[in-house]
Amino acid sequence: MSADHAMSNTSQTGQHPGQNTEDQHGLSEKGLKAGSVGLIGAVVIGVSCIAPAYTLTAALGPTVAEVGVHLPAIFLVGFVPMLLVAFGYRELNNAMPDAGTSFTWASRAFGPWLGWMGGWGLVAATIIVLSNLAAVAVDFFYLMLGQIFGNPDLADLTKNLPLNIATTLVFITLACWISYRGMETTKTVQYVLVGFQLLVLGWFAVAAFSHVANGTAFDATAIAPDWFNPFAVESFSAFAAGVSLSIFIYWGWDVTLTMNEETKNPEKTPGRAATVTVLVIVIIYMTVALATLSYAGIGTEGLGAGNPENQGSIFAVLAGPVMGPFAILMSLAILSSSAASLQSTFVSPARTLLSMGHYKALPKKFSRISPTHKSPSYATIASAVAAAAFYVITRTTSENALWDTITALGMMICFYYGITALACVWFFRAEAFSGAHAFFFKFLAPLLGGVILLVMFFKTAYDSMDPAYGSGSSIGGLGLVFILGMGVILLGVVLMLVMAKVRPEFFKGEVLSRGN
Amino acid sequence: MRYVVGYSANARGHDAVNLAVSLALGRGASLELVLVVPEVQQFGAAHAPRVGFEHLLNEQAQEWLDQALALVPAGVPARAHVRSGDSDAHALIAAAEEFGADLLIIGATSSGIFKRFSIGSVASALLHASTVPVALAPHGYHRQEALTRISCGLGTRAGAEKLLDFALGMATNRDVPLRVVSLLALDGGDAAGAASAAEAAREYATKHLAAALPGGEQDVREEPKTEVVVAQGRSIEEAVDRLDWEDGEVLLIGSSRLATSRSIFLGSTANRILRALPVPMIVVPSDYELKQMNHSASNDVPREAQK
Repeated sequence: MSADHAMSNTSQTGQHPGQNTEDQHGLSEKGLKAGSVGLIGAVVIGVSCIAPAYTLTAALGPTVAEVGVHLPAIFLVGFVPMLLVAFGYRELNNAMPDAGTSFTWASRAFGPWLGWMGGWGLVAATIIVLSNLAAVAVDFFYLMLGQIFGNPDLADLTKNLPLNIATTLVFITLACWISYRGMETTKTVQYVLVGFQLLVLGWFAVAAFSHVANGTAFDATAIAPDWFNPFAVESFSAFAAGVSLSIFIYWGWDVTLTMNEETKNPEKTPGRAATVTVLVIVIIYMTVALATLSYAGIGTEGLGAGNPENQGSIFAVLAGPVMGPFAILMSLAILSSSAASLQSTFVSPARTLLSMGHYKALPKKFSRISPTHKSPSYATIASAVAAAAFYVITRTTSENALWDTITALGMMICFYYGITALACVWFFRAEAFSGAHAFFFKFLAPLLGGVILLVMFFKTAYDSMDPAYGSGSSIGGLGLVFILGMGVILLGVVLMLVMAKVRPEFFKGEVLSRGN
Repeated sequence: MRYVVGYSANARGHDAVNLAVSLALGRGASLELVLVVPEVQQFGAAHAPRVGFEHLLNEQAQEWLDQALALVPAGVPARAHVRSGDSDAHALIAAAEEFGADLLIIGATSSGIFKRFSIGSVASALLHASTVPVALAPHGYHRQEALTRISCGLGTRAGAEKLLDFALGMATNRDVPLRVVSLLALDGGDAAGAASAAEAAREYATKHLAAALPGGEQDVREEPKTEVVVAQGRSIEEAVDRLDWEDGEVLLIGSSRLATSRSIFLGSTANRILRALPVPMIVVPSDYELKQMNHSASNDVPREAQK
């Protein structure tokens, strides 16, 4: 509040005599009260951004499909590029805090064209995850109805295509409306949601292991050291696909590193929170991954984790047999966490689009802020329309929409994280060798992370041309995942060229200049 | 003397600025236009940058406030402030306390279709918590001239004297007539009963008005012209409709007994009045200290009700 008082004393130089407006410099220091988030709060924020219950149900199946029993190894290895990129992300965030993040940073480092594509990648990734979150929420919504009324027919309603699409659109509309109204999930709600998710995932793991111990597991498989060996994955293609999927499961972790002024101890809290968050997440991922593999095996029949039928949403299938009547808790945990994430993730593409509109990289209407609700109005609605359209297209063309969207999403995250990491290297190139800290955090880590992610991106993109890739859907002899991923990127290129014609200032570098 | 105006860049905000100007003109008050932006939370947004968004939000807020200042005529001193807070109402109350404001002015809503007043969520939250009087501008309020008359809605409950004091002070200071209004809802009831109820109400109002007037001792200031009217109808709304209202009039009412001391709670009668009322309404908190000077930020000028 001290900033407020200082600003009220500005000189009397308004449009009218005796009127003045506050000096706008330093306004960005307001907002969340400094020092309001402690270590536990920061960890809760980190875990809630990752949304482990949702992430696992969405990514576990597709990852098993790629790497089989080496799932634990891939989950561990997948964290490495995430960590490397997050270091660079933190440096950029400290140097240029901006609502456009990847868009702004890549524009400052590489100029408008690559910057635009970086922003597009970020927007596309968040929009794809929105449609997936909504779809997962809908699945578990019907599953829960089925469990409540003891009627499996209700759970099967989600397989009714028109009904499924209609319900998903309702979920997206609701989340959009909540975001538009500027309502945000509160701290208490997040604590409860995160606690509940961890508890239920723990319960699932314990129940699965006790089935294994009692000999009642579906396909009891003994844990082998080989499961933890990433080099045992059969092919580089499988490895790349697995890593790009596990980038998705850690996506959101970087937020803990970028919290500074709002933490009680900016020197120590972000680092500790990031460490604790990743420990919590890795432990829960390992436990659940091992429990799932031990209980269900990777067979392609019945409950096997290798059964393509199960891979869109593994807990929808396994929670019942593993947890018995308590499976409803799993439905509730995933429904609540994916619904909360759906709403909180809406904020991301909306703010990036707003920022792009502000920097004249998109039509002016994207930079509109609602006078009543003070939220990005046009950008929020545009995101919802895009997410809905993406879902309808995927759902009607794919045999397993959830699976294919998650694979395409992994690709998209690799794409924009890769660009962001290299933007960090390029932006700080002048100071890369000015000291050990700068060398590691501004150069080496982001360089390695960025290169790894872009390699994963290109490899996955190349492999996904195979019609058998992902769930095995294809259009015109090309894999659907390739079409989705490349289609979205190509669409970005087209829109970029249109924008360059319509509103050339940004593309001439007149708005965001390169370099320092 | 200072008035805090809760501004938003929509019709509701314009209503508030217009009413603020019209109230300030009679009293030489200065306006503090406050635009509340939401506190950008870390807990509510995944994958979303916070700092940069705050910056854009504040830039936009600043632009909106510049437009708001342009609505204020040159004769009225005004300043603009951006405040952030979880709740608009709480941020406005905090600003009112910070500036030692005598009045908080807001637009009631922008979505009243059939009635001029239908309370928006901010207004309703304010009415439950404000410690200073709250002025509500009806939908589409566009007048910017000084007030021409003050009405004071008188109930029969405790606190009427204080409200009358306040109203009388306001009328004196602005040199406009004061009309004491008694609103009666008569469900059914015969004509004779209605007439006697009206008579009783008139007597009550006249008695209190006489008590509130300084009486014998002739002040330097002139007494305002006063009158007492009783309005009847099958409902409170009808009673309000039957009264004549000047364009430049405001209605003062006291807050409900439910209110904790020094804060406002809009009672059900007041709520119904509000729905039918064509002019702005000022709701005064119960036990509002009318003559309190000690925490005023502007000791040189008399406060709203100072006689």
